[in-house]
Amino acid sequence: MSTIGNSKSGKTGLIFFPAFDWAISPTHPEREERLLYTRDQIFEEGLMDLPSIEEYKPRLAEKKDVARTHFCVPDVESQVTEAHLIAAGSTLTLADALERGEIKNGFALVRPPGHHSMRVVHGNRGFCNINNMAIMVDYLRSKYGHKRIAVIDTDVHHGDGTQEIFWHDPDVLCISFHQDGHTLYPGSGFVNEMGGPQALARTLNVPLPPGTTDEGIHYVLDNLILPILGEFKPDLVLNSAGQDNHYTDPLANMRFSANGYARLNEKLAPDLCVLEGGYAVETALPYVNTGIIQAMAGLDYSHVREPDFVPGRFVQSAEMKREIEHTVSQVMKTWEERDELVATALEGMGEFYRRKKRIFYDTDMINENQEEVVRLCPDCSGYMTINTSAQRGYGVLNSAFCVAIPRGACSSCREDAQEEYAEHLDDRRIGYVLMQDKDRDKFKFCNNMTHTEKGY
Amino acid sequence: MLIGIDVGGTTTDAVIVDGSRVVKTAYVPTDHDNLLGCLLAAMDELVRGIDTRKIERVVLSTTLITNMIAEGKTDPVALVLIPGPGTNPKDYSLGESIILDGAIDFRGKETDPLKESQIREAAARIAAQGLSRVAVVGKFCQRNHSHEVKAGQVISSVLPNARIELGHRVSGQLNFPRRAATTMLTAATKDSYEKFAADVARALKQRKIEAPVYILKADGGTLPLDKSVSMPVETIFSGPAASIMGVLALTDPGKTSVVVDIGGTTTDLALILSGRPLLSAKGARVDSMFTHVRAFAVKSVAIGGDSAVCAGIGAISVGPHRDGPPCCMGGKGPTPTDALRVLGLSDIGDLSKAEQAMNMVASGLGCTAKQAAQKVVDAVVDKIVSEVHEMFREWEAEPAYRIWEIMQKEKLSAQSVVGVGGGAPPLVPLVAAQLGAEAVVPQYAPVANAIGAAVARPTLTLNLHIDTEKGEYSVAEDGSLGRVTDRKMTPDDAERLARRLLAERAARLGISEYASEAEVTYSEMFNMIRGWSTSGRLMDVRMEVTAGLLPSWEGC
Repeated sequence: MSTIGNSKSGKTGLIFFPAFDWAISPTHPEREERLLYTRDQIFEEGLMDLPSIEEYKPRLAEKKDVARTHFCVPDVESQVTEAHLIAAGSTLTLADALERGEIKNGFALVRPPGHHSMRVVHGNRGFCNINNMAIMVDYLRSKYGHKRIAVIDTDVHHGDGTQEIFWHDPDVLCISFHQDGHTLYPGSGFVNEMGGPQALARTLNVPLPPGTTDEGIHYVLDNLILPILGEFKPDLVLNSAGQDNHYTDPLANMRFSANGYARLNEKLAPDLCVLEGGYAVETALPYVNTGIIQAMAGLDYSHVREPDFVPGRFVQSAEMKREIEHTVSQVMKTWEERDELVATALEGMGEFYRRKKRIFYDTDMINENQEEVVRLCPDCSGYMTINTSAQRGYGVLNSAFCVAIPRGACSSCREDAQEEYAEHLDDRRIGYVLMQDKDRDKFKFCNNMTHTEKGY
Repeated sequence: MLIGIDVGGTTTDAVIVDGSRVVKTAYVPTDHDNLLGCLLAAMDELVRGIDTRKIERVVLSTTLITNMIAEGKTDPVALVLIPGPGTNPKDYSLGESIILDGAIDFRGKETDPLKESQIREAAARIAAQGLSRVAVVGKFCQRNHSHEVKAGQVISSVLPNARIELGHRVSGQLNFPRRAATTMLTAATKDSYEKFAADVARALKQRKIEAPVYILKADGGTLPLDKSVSMPVETIFSGPAASIMGVLALTDPGKTSVVVDIGGTTTDLALILSGRPLLSAKGARVDSMFTHVRAFAVKSVAIGGDSAVCAGIGAISVGPHRDGPPCCMGGKGPTPTDALRVLGLSDIGDLSKAEQAMNMVASGLGCTAKQAAQKVVDAVVDKIVSEVHEMFREWEAEPAYRIWEIMQKEKLSAQSVVGVGGGAPPLVPLVAAQLGAEAVVPQYAPVANAIGAAVARPTLTLNLHIDTEKGEYSVAEDGSLGRVTDRKMTPDDAERLARRLLAERAARLGISEYASEAEVTYSEMFNMIRGWSTSGRLMDVRMEVTAGLLPSWEGC
């Protein structure tokens, strides 16, 4: 029975946007049919008629909302369709409803998903073009002034996009548990990925062995995620609610159940949930979504059960249990040592932190090379530049120089960042120069070949 | 000649229409304990001196079912649910129910069998409670009837005289709790409605009125009286539907209008968007239950001509309660009707008494009686206007599930405000002015409801669901199932099948001549991909004959 967890009164906001007219390709897992049976189930359940649930109409996100989070190359228009803007906009509609006090929590049951999209966007990777969750986080912070936000990624795949976007941000705690990257896309999310030098241990990864059951996932929740949230004390807890840990998912190998998902959301009590992946369109999604909605609305979810599920069907081996316990203790240690980790990392590091990255866009077959530079500023979180070049096949697709001015930027970072932007405007080797001024909420795109600039 | 009779809350209004001409009108007060009696009284007054052989059609709109439900006079029903996995049935406000094991999934596949012994136990419990009406409703049973049919048979074998209603026969649309509520209400009202229908038929026969008799439904469509007995709940809220159809008949076509029906203590608001009355997004609502009954969206605001005006220090409030008739009509407390009288906006009742009433209000406000009256009228108009804005906002905020729906929804605002009912004429121009719209009070506004009934055409909806992998189709409205053989059916094929089924359904309902008016209002197709290849298609088509007017009226 779901009596604990939801002490706040009020309704649960729900946006159901199945994008019945959008697909990556007709037979792709991310196709029109994905939420069809979920629609049938939640409509047949009559969930939207219950007094504890309020259904909202999706809206389109503004291009500016996308630019606040992403450097879309060459521009926002080229990277998003209406479906993407509606999926992202749905999260913002719920964010507004939450902030206005109309709802106690909300679930954006939308597609296409977003958590593999990184800060720079050249195309689609891992079925994602833009990161709905990250766009919502940036919107909540810029519009409503929230400082500390926790994003818990419960998708079976590592939430590498969200991790990368908040990598340097000590105020956004990103915890992702997922099937071990040795065995599943995107092949990352190991315990040693812990965030940038100023934000170490504000990115935490919990790789789990294939076959992890309800027991294992709830062990991670009870012994790692919930205690850490208790110490981090975020203003908001957000759930990147993928549903592919389910035991029937065709793309992964875990053994999580619909009841396990519902119980997870009851305990985690997220303020807002955003759907990510989940491709068992008939055998999992209708039940998992029903369970999550019920748990969020404080309804009894004990009647939700997959037709082939019997309690006790999946038993965790002693070895698997040891492995999970070991990972949890390792990650917990990282968290506990966070202040020392940051101090040690910053020691002896110069004025700038640099890293080079290669990013592969599996859906669009793009290879991207990046050099990222962050100023380790004593007065603010430091401006950032990213030099990016993307290749498709043997040809260069696009190249860009991106400059980000952080919220609360000091005047020296602002001046230097503006200088970097201006300097690269004449560089004919670079296709586009982008400026993200998060402090003033202004975003610029310049095409170096045509010398045209536009802004949002 | 067409006859329309609306048995309303306070009066029963009747008209005879010939072409687009109103030939005669009649009114009698409504007696809620004898609806048939007042219907016939109105009819007798109406046809006095008229050659009844020239009557081509009679349409009734009646509060019978609405009243039965409101007054709790429906028959007791045992509700038997087969909910399967999902929501705890206790979370639905359906009252007491008996829960059976067994489950069907969204594809119509049995995922959990029924237990016959459990059904027998349920039947024994129903027998012990002395109930003889049973509603059996299963989740997703519209996609596979077997559980409802089997449970019905077993109950019937234990209770041979029980009247059993099966959910899939009442509605096949998605939404199990609404289907359960609708099925339960059907079982609870069918006997009384059948008796009413038979009495009407007999009474008309005695009066030598041989014309076909229709009943008006909540969606503004007409249905032959004899066919309507299988779906009595469809007739709830036919009063507001009659008024809206009347406005449609009495105003220019294609407009976006607000229909304002100001009564004694309530004001009913409805929207006509580009000539089409707005349907309620969640179906007709009965108490706290939503139903599958298609109904116009009507908002009842607790304010009217008789609402009590309370004057405090420097402020007034109007309604929601009524302390009696207006002062100018012999009542004791001030009301909006008194305010209108003082301002010269109406000539109902005694002016000096109205002035006394407004003086009572004025003393609290420290102003003149006229100023007080103006404040009262402003409060009423402001309330109505803000509710109209809210209705448009709610319509704009209705959920949408497709990109094109979200991109296309236009923003509409009222072009005209149309007043019907007794209280409307003085207030409508004031409401219209605030909305920036034209005020319209049609010549026949007081009998708009009866005219609406007289000239409404039948409506018909058919929701077809096709699963080519299973080789099966189902029709939501009557729960019928059939086979399809072509796995690669196209949306065009699906629409052709829908049209054929709609024509058959129209024939069964005795409204064949309107089947050709049906339009496809919704069509979707999903390829089912298993592995990396297409295993079948799921298609949904909705065809509708929407609310409209008879060609004989429209043509004039």
